Amino acid sequence: MKRKPTRFQNEQTEINVSPLIDMVFILLIFFIVATSFVNEIGISSSYKDSNSQVDTKRPPLSFNLAGSGQILVDGNSIGLEGVAPKVRTFSTHEPPSVIIQVSEGAKAGLATQVMDQALLAGAKAVKLTAISK
Amino acid sequence: MKLRRRSILEEEDESINVSPLIDVVFILLIFFIVSATFVTLPGVDVARPRVENASSLQKNSVLFALSDKNQIFHAGESVQLDDVPPLIIQAIKDKGKPVVIQVDQWADAVVLAKLVSQAKKVAPSVSLATLKNR
Repeated sequence: MKRKPTRFQNEQTEINVSPLIDMVFILLIFFIVATSFVNEIGISSSYKDSNSQVDTKRPPLSFNLAGSGQILVDGNSIGLEGVAPKVRTFSTHEPPSVIIQVSEGAKAGLATQVMDQALLAGAKAVKLTAISK
Repeated sequence: MKLRRRSILEEEDESINVSPLIDVVFILLIFFIVSATFVTLPGVDVARPRVENASSLQKNSVLFALSDKNQIFHAGESVQLDDVPPLIIQAIKDKGKPVVIQVDQWADAVVLAKLVSQAKKVAPSVSLATLKNR
């Protein structure tokens, strides 16, 4: 009990915070490094399979991607720039659903670009399907 | 100048007040802990197709990659098409994470279509990672 006053008479003692700061800095650096801010941009197609099966009145517009890289609609070859007008003129009432049927050998880049063009033209949903031979 | 310096030295050794520093560091630490999502990257570099209306995708997602040799990658390993749905279920863990597929533009579209349909079985949404057209 007697010692207390003497302790107070010392200049006030402080907790040594340097180890704490060290530790916190290490944690901080760990989390900065470990946090990977994946920032992807892209396209998403929200195709509801259950909806499309019921909706027989409005058949989806289907594009056919041949292995040679051609885009076919009803057997006619159109270019990539022809996709958007096709989607726009397909239906007067509401934006159509689009099905992209890909054949063996078609490139994914082209399929993605067709999807993009269709979505750009206001397609409600886009679906990729593979044609099995 | 001399006078002032001496007066400082004469005081019992002063230490810098570190409390504000600790405050700031703690705030940063908590920010990084909270924002840490630990996204596992597929571990393969792909040439993303360029499109026009790319939008920003959700950051916290399950990533797959489809390379130009039609191999599917997830978390640095090559996986088979049939293993994709279990992997997604395992990665999602009821958090409703979307699936993002990094597709190489020279990959086969048939494989892509199959991969998307496999992923759609279990994932709330499936997106394709692209680049913005310049």
